[in-house]
Parts: sequence; structure tokens; C-alpha cells
Amino acid sequence: MKPLLAIGLGNPLMGDDGVGCMVAERLVNDPRLPDSVEVISGGSDLLRYCKQMEGRSRVVVIDAIEGDTEPGIVLTFEGACSGLSERQDHVHQLSAVQAIRLLGLLNSIPCTLLGISVSSAAIGSGLSPAVDAQMPAILDSVLQELGRRLPDNGRRP
Amino acid sequence: MKTVVIEHLARVEGHGGISVVLEGDKVSKVHFDVFEGARLLESLVRGKRYDEVSPILSRICSICSAAHSLTSLKASENAFGVQVSPQTQLLRELLYRGESIQSHALHLFLLAAPDYLDFPSAIALAAEKPDAVLLGLRLKKLGNLIQETIGGRAVHPVNVVPGGFGTVPTVDQLIELRDGLMEAIKDSQDVIELMASLPPADFCQCDTAYAALHSPNDDSYFAGDEVMLADNGNRTVMRAAEYRKLANEQSVLHSHAKHSSFHGKPFMVGSLARLTVNPQRLNGRQAVAMERLNLRLPARNPMDNNKAQAVELVGDVERALDIIECLLRDGVKDERPVEVQVCAGTGTAITEAPRGLLVHSYTYDSEGRITAADMITPTALNAASMELHFRRVVEQCAEREEAVIAKRLQMVARAYDPCISCSVHLVRRQ
Repeated sequence: MKPLLAIGLGNPLMGDDGVGCMVAERLVNDPRLPDSVEVISGGSDLLRYCKQMEGRSRVVVIDAIEGDTEPGIVLTFEGACSGLSERQDHVHQLSAVQAIRLLGLLNSIPCTLLGISVSSAAIGSGLSPAVDAQMPAILDSVLQELGRRLPDNGRRP
Repeated sequence: MKTVVIEHLARVEGHGGISVVLEGDKVSKVHFDVFEGARLLESLVRGKRYDEVSPILSRICSICSAAHSLTSLKASENAFGVQVSPQTQLLRELLYRGESIQSHALHLFLLAAPDYLDFPSAIALAAEKPDAVLLGLRLKKLGNLIQETIGGRAVHPVNVVPGGFGTVPTVDQLIELRDGLMEAIKDSQDVIELMASLPPADFCQCDTAYAALHSPNDDSYFAGDEVMLADNGNRTVMRAAEYRKLANEQSVLHSHAKHSSFHGKPFMVGSLARLTVNPQRLNGRQAVAMERLNLRLPARNPMDNNKAQAVELVGDVERALDIIECLLRDGVKDERPVEVQVCAGTGTAITEAPRGLLVHSYTYDSEGRITAADMITPTALNAASMELHFRRVVEQCAEREEAVIAKRLQMVARAYDPCISCSVHLVRRQ
């Protein structure tokens, strides 16, 4: 089992909301991806992957974040993701932040959220031009953040 | 006039609400409003071949999909006169026990427990008492593993087919389950201790009739063909094919779930009913658990259904272990499913889903295609009884504070562990 699990979240039918999934799909084929990282393009339900999280040194969740930040910027949140809203839009699923906080209470696996700032998430396939133009830079940032969190990087996993 | 309205019941499966009208001290209206849309599944299977029916009707529910799958198969097999092997019966019973473990663990820890301890949700409970939530999740995971191993998937099993199973489990798989169940003996004991530590919930007393599958010589949720209705010492026994005599379903204007009653009196199905109708099963650790929880039968408090589920968890773990020991001792035979010879006819099956009696009844034509289907789920059977108990909650509540009444109503609703989305099978009358 690879020690670090990266899960891209989002709904590709909701425009920029799907950016986490798209990043995950590109990472899988990116030659720069370290061998010790497993990547899943995970849809919108993080809790579905509880079983795959077991035994990992760290889980990195990649998801879209709405806010005032310029589109395409990668923001990093550790642990319980303080400062982020728990807003739940789905009656049958927890939001990513709710799920990360719940998992933090129930297992001891460190978790990082890489939030990719988007300006809107509306019905429609494909990313907005603003986020799409940033995709190479987003991938660079995500790979850099993953590299920093590898267990053999000399840092605490 | 005062009204108490719970628009959406939280921490139950499906969508429903409760509305109460008080005029002075008089309770003038209590409705269990089931507004979940009609599912129309009985119509969807008309014209379908016998081997397509179980996978379709399993989709009514993801919590008790194994019960729907197996009850569907049993009804079809009864229609065609198919007798499955003793090994198939054991494996089906094991699948039932796995489902019961996961369903009861989910309900007790994630849906019901937060009420007793004044937490708004299981997530809030996990922040203060992670051990309790982890205990529930461990048991749920074990129940899911049993379902994955025997049914091929944790939800909507693919390995159960008319006449038997697609594949049978290997010895190694059974040993893995046995190891998990051995560890779960301690967990199931911890469930009893946790339930015993909860504050009492004694705010609804009511004479209650109970109905459950009655199998005096067979400790089973799946086998058996007799339903017993126990009402204040009066016991009435019916065959599965007479299920309409038990249910007497009536449409009501305010609900998409029909209401059932026997001789005009609502009745309760589920864990508490199973223990009441089958007291001969309550020996060993289950008897000790009942004593520890001070559970007396027949109960007058519907909240005792939570205690009954905890007692059943103890029994489910033990029975699943017994079945696995039996399979390992006798050796698992690589059996093919019994061949089905289709013929025109009607078959009815009643089993014990986690929430209580589940009825599937089908009529087939000579080519093995469905011409009529009827399903009655535990929550539909319970709907009238829930409403009666809601009324008693309000009548017996000395306080008229809306928040107090609303909390008690929701606790009783959750004690029934309703699966509202399963319960609907009609369109609202004008």
C-alpha cells in the first residue's frame, strides 16, 4: 500500500466544482507524481473512501473552494480545516469539511485539504476559462504540496 | 389552539414529519406525515422475469437491501415450489444476521444515541464520546463485511439468486468472518453497557400489540411461515399467505404510507416484537443483557425497542458465529443453485428484516413473468402504531413547551427506526 493517499473531490457536471476530480485524473498520468502517492478521483462523497484511508501515513483531499480568492489558487488547510464552512448541500452526504472533521475525530490519520479557489460552480461540464487557464500552475502547486508531505521527505508525515 | 410541527424528521431513513394540534389540554390531531414520493416498484416489476425481480426490488432500500433481496427470492421460490438446500438456508440466515448487525449498529449509535445524551448529531457525539461512535462503526463494518462476503456486496447483494447462491464462501473467508465475530462478542457486550448507561426515556406508556415471525423450533429471521400477533396475552397465529388478514391496509389522507391494524388495533413490528413473540430465544447472554437493561416483556414503552435492538445485536453475533462454526464443521459444498421450473402461481414470503416483518407476494404467469406484486414493509406496518404512540407522548407530557414535546416525539419516532422511503407504496388520494 502506498503511504500517501490523494483524493480529488467534486462533481464534473457542476463546472468548477469538478476541479478536484480533474486534478486527480491528470495527476494519475503525470510523470512527476511520486511513487509513494496513490491518487483517486473520488466524486463527491469523501466518506466512501474510509476503507482506502486505513493504514496510510496521510490523506490529502483536493477540492474546489468558493471564496474571494483569485480563481486557481491552491490553499492549504491542515487538520480540522479551521475557518472553513461546514455547509452541506446534499441530503445524503456530508460536505468535505464535515467529513474531514468527522474522520479527524474517529481515526488518527493526518489529513490535509488542498482547496482550489473557484469563482462559481454552476450546472455545466468543463471548467471555467479562468480556472482552466490555471491548470498547469494548479498541478505544479498540488505536486509541490504532495511532495512536502511524503513520509520520506524528512518532515513529519 | 397550539400546534407542534416537525417538518422533517432527522436521523431516520427517508422523508417524513409529525404534526400535532392541541386544543387546550385536548390533543385533537396527531399525524405522522409521510410525504416521501410513491416508489411504484410493484408496478415496475410487472412483466419482469422471475430472475430479474429480486435485484430490482432490492433497490427499495440500501439499509435492508439483503432482506428485500432474500424475501423476494423466497416469494418467487414459493410460487414455483423450489426447495433450497440446508446450506443455502444457513448462508441466507448468515446474510440476514450481517444485515441486522450493521443496521442495528447504525441506528443505535448514529441515529438514536445522540438524543439520549443531548447531542444534535452523531458528529457532535463523536467529538465528545468518540469511543461510543467507534464502537458502533466497528460493528457496522463487521455487518458490512458479512454482507460483502456472502452477498457479494455490502449493499444490494449480487450473489443471491433464485435457488441458492452464485458462489459459496471459501473456508478462509468464513474464518475471517469468524475472527471478526469473536472480537465482536466483547463489542456487543460493550453495547449493552453503553445502553445501560443512558438516561432513562420513560415518557410514553401504552398497551401495545406486537407481531413477529414465530418459529418455535428455529432460531431464524428467514425461515418460518407463521406470524404471531401478541396482544395482552392473546396470541393469534397466521400463515404468511394470510398476510392481508394481519395487515388490513387502509389508505389515509395525510400519508403516502398505508396504515395497518388487526381487529382495529395498530400493532408494532421490529426487535421488541421479535423478542416478545419469541421469548424462548432469550437465553444465555441475551437473557443477561435483558436483565442488565431492565427490559421487561411485553413492554409498554416503545423506547424499549432500542434496548431490544441492543439485545438482538448480542444474539446476532452469537447466531452468526454458530452458523459459521456449523458451515466449517460440515464443510462448505460447492453447490449450484436449484434449478427453477416456472409455472403459473402465487408465492408469498414473510421474513424479519432489521425493522420487522417484511412481506413480498407475487403472482406469476406460466412463463415465469410477474402479473401482480405486493410488498409491505415494516415501517408501513408500524405507521399506525407510531401515530398512536405519538398521541400518547403528547397526552402524557405534563409540559406544554413545544421543544419538549417535539424532542419526545422525535425520540419515539427514532426508536421505531423507521425506513420511510421503504414504506410508501401508493399515491395520495384526493
